[in-house]
Amino acid sequence: MGLLDGLLPAYYESILITVGIYIILALGLNLITGVTGQLNLGHAAYMCIGAYTSAIMSMHYGMPFIVAILAGGLLAAAFGVVIGYPTLRLTGDYLAICTLGFGEILKSVLYNVPAVGGAMGLAGIPPKTTLTIVFIVMIIVIISMVRVESSRFGRALVAIREDEIAAECNGINATKYKLQMFSLGCFIAGIGGALWAHKIMVLQPRDFGFLKSIEILNMVVLGGLGSIPGTILGATVLTSIPEILRFSSEYRMLLYGALLVAMMIFRPHGLMGGVSFNSIAKRGMRWLKPGDKPDDKPGQKGMGG
Amino acid sequence: MPLLELNEVTIRFGGLIAVDSVDLVIEKGEILSLIGPNGAGKSTVFNLVTGIYPPTAGTITYKEQRLNGKKSYHINRLGIARTFQNIRLFPELPVLDNVKVGRHCRSKASVFGALLRTPAVKAEEKAIEQKALECLELMGLDHKKDEAAKNLPYGEQRRLEIARAMASDPELLLLDEPAAGMNSTEKKVLVEKITSIRDMGLTVFLVEHDMKFVMGISDRVAVLDYGRKIADGSPTEVQKNPDVIAAYLGKEVV
Amino acid sequence: MLSNLLVQLINGIALGSTYALIALGYTMVYGIILLINFAHGEIFMAGAFVGLMLVTVFKVHIIFAFLGAMLFCMIMGVIIEKIAYKPLRRSTRLAALISAIGVSIFLSNLANLVFGAKPTTFPPTEEILFKIQTYELIAGAQITNLQILTIVTSAVLMVCLQYFIKKSRIGKAMRATSQDYDTAALMGVNVNRIISYTFAIGSSLAAAGGVLVGIYFGVVKYNMGFMVGLKAFTAAVLGGIGSIPGAMFGGLLLGIGEMLAVALGLSSYRDAIAFGILILVLLIKPTGLFGTQIQKKV
Ligand SMILES: Nc1ncnc2c1ncn2[C@@H]1O[C@H](COP(=O)(O)OP(=O)(O)O)[C@@H](O)[C@H]1O
Ligand SMILES: [Mg+2]
Repeated sequence: MGLLDGLLPAYYESILITVGIYIILALGLNLITGVTGQLNLGHAAYMCIGAYTSAIMSMHYGMPFIVAILAGGLLAAAFGVVIGYPTLRLTGDYLAICTLGFGEILKSVLYNVPAVGGAMGLAGIPPKTTLTIVFIVMIIVIISMVRVESSRFGRALVAIREDEIAAECNGINATKYKLQMFSLGCFIAGIGGALWAHKIMVLQPRDFGFLKSIEILNMVVLGGLGSIPGTILGATVLTSIPEILRFSSEYRMLLYGALLVAMMIFRPHGLMGGVSFNSIAKRGMRWLKPGDKPDDKPGQKGMGG
Repeated sequence: MPLLELNEVTIRFGGLIAVDSVDLVIEKGEILSLIGPNGAGKSTVFNLVTGIYPPTAGTITYKEQRLNGKKSYHINRLGIARTFQNIRLFPELPVLDNVKVGRHCRSKASVFGALLRTPAVKAEEKAIEQKALECLELMGLDHKKDEAAKNLPYGEQRRLEIARAMASDPELLLLDEPAAGMNSTEKKVLVEKITSIRDMGLTVFLVEHDMKFVMGISDRVAVLDYGRKIADGSPTEVQKNPDVIAAYLGKEVV
Repeated sequence: MLSNLLVQLINGIALGSTYALIALGYTMVYGIILLINFAHGEIFMAGAFVGLMLVTVFKVHIIFAFLGAMLFCMIMGVIIEKIAYKPLRRSTRLAALISAIGVSIFLSNLANLVFGAKPTTFPPTEEILFKIQTYELIAGAQITNLQILTIVTSAVLMVCLQYFIKKSRIGKAMRATSQDYDTAALMGVNVNRIISYTFAIGSSLAAAGGVLVGIYFGVVKYNMGFMVGLKAFTAAVLGGIGSIPGAMFGGLLLGIGEMLAVALGLSSYRDAIAFGILILVLLIKPTGLFGTQIQKKV
């Protein structure tokens, strides 16, 4: 039994678990699309691989939860490498279409393979995901992403997003870094999927289609492409508000569509574009020590100009 | 033994021969300028040397290594750094981080280094920052280190590109029209900076459109016209060369 | 076996000619503003619904319903461009692409709310057109009058388009803009108008495809634009994006390929196969069959 479990009414606990899982998923996508600028329209596919793998690990092989989670993440990362290796050389929109295509192919295969339940999917997955576990994983993912952001590796990723040719001329092997970044993002998606599988207990291929990928993309776009605090905010808002207001899924998707357009036109950097935990910390320090430069505006980051 | 040698280098774009069988030699420690009218193929020479385009024919040799077929990032690691005619900074990144990126090929922390943040990685990160600050100082931009690169005025963006290139400790620095769009005071400062870079032991290969700017600082000048090299020699020799005069008068409305 | 193959070949040509109609819109828009117009599939869906509404609710003759759907979508395409893409012309391509995806999601869910999630059936063909008749061809192959109508209508529209692009002033300006946007603008081409025309023409062709598909399969559904749109895009890429003959050829090839997959008993994988083709083409020859290689200027 974890520290955080059972403190809240079951309904709110369930919402918090969902929020936590989407924060994890969205941070994985933020690394790929926000930080490195590679539009991935098939993020749900990697979530799906993690979910199915971990479910099979727990149900058929009786593996401990942690092993199932890691297996889910690793297989998703492996698929990320296999798919990313040929496709990441493509430019923006072609890559987007390929990632979408892979997601649909995966769905189609899962539909037709009886070993993983076909269209009926998998049922009877043990409910092992607790708020404590989700919280711990989420914190690890957040810390990892913050570390990546302020590292040589992270700078290389942003450089690739901003200008791939200039990045290459400054010693960055863009293909290699994109592949590493993509598999890391897919690993995180796989972990999120594993946690999701052991919360929802039933998996069906159609739950991991294009619309699921768009839902996660929306969280990153709303928060601010490239911003970690923004992504966390976006995932929190878009997961909890429809839950609490009990939106029907059609209205939700209608809103999501309009939101994508409106954000791009009016606020392409999202709610927190350019805000990082580092910049928040710096501001905090200034605030504690008045008299320093008080008027520090963070540069607008997020999308290349 | 020249530092860089181009041997009958040619590149075609469809029907256009942008660089036509060009021979060029750069000796260690000199400032060589490549001049010529717009569209002569000067920037294309840089793109060939830095691996952006593969040559259609000919060989490019740097310190006895063939550069043909090598990737841009590899060429950078070998000691060649460049700037671009149409400035190519990382606009959303702060000035300091732009220069830190330039240090990429001289540092080695990997993804795992980033995630684990070992003492060695932290030390390397410190060293990168140190170097980046030095380069900013050299180009007189240290006071702007926290601004987003896109917010700098044009002249400073050009200098930032040089600072970024310097961060990789290059032996050969390629500058593509570094003075473009600068006023005469800015140009004067730039001449000083380039001279002091050469005095640090670097070799400078400069592309310029503007003849006057070049004559002051170059040890040697080569002239391109329609992709062909039409002259190569000391600034005074080149200035007197009738072919060069014709090329310039034929193109430029003075 | 042979006759089955021939039957599927003819089905493939009929299906492929509608893909070709839709693919033209993708290719024309991409040729000019380098944007995958994700919402194009939803315009096709809207065309199908508008045609259906005109026939069933307003009791319009099918020919006028067909033209009405084309007109409606023509206006719709232009408005979408003005609202969702034009403000982003100076932004990153990523931003424009995300906006296009937003429009697509918005429209399909709007249709879901308006028409419901269940497929809506088209009136039987004999009520609105003619009684289906089957003609025997050689070697046991058959073709229906509906298939002939689909193929002929698509062909006529494509010939008109080709004529328009080659001969009219606007068509010439379109070709100039797609070859070199900046130079065309400098030479005094009104780029905004050309883009509007491109969306108008592309969208009306998609609407025509929508009505044809609606009659052909007898049902329309809010999410029909997604899969068909992606297949048409695949067709455009297959033929070489930006190339109009390429889009026609790619559409036919994809339609035939899909139907042959069905003939080989792979029908549950037909969508996956289409995507597989798309990915392979992008990886092996991203310029498609008719496209030309362009070296990016640095
Ligand atoms: N990628 C390319 N594709 C086609 N033509 C190119 C490309 N790059 C350069 N060119 C052409 O090559 C010629 C030389 O260009 P460039 O080297 O930029 O000239 P310069 O720098 O001397 O002004 C020009 O005619 C230019 O249009
Ligand atoms: Mg040039």
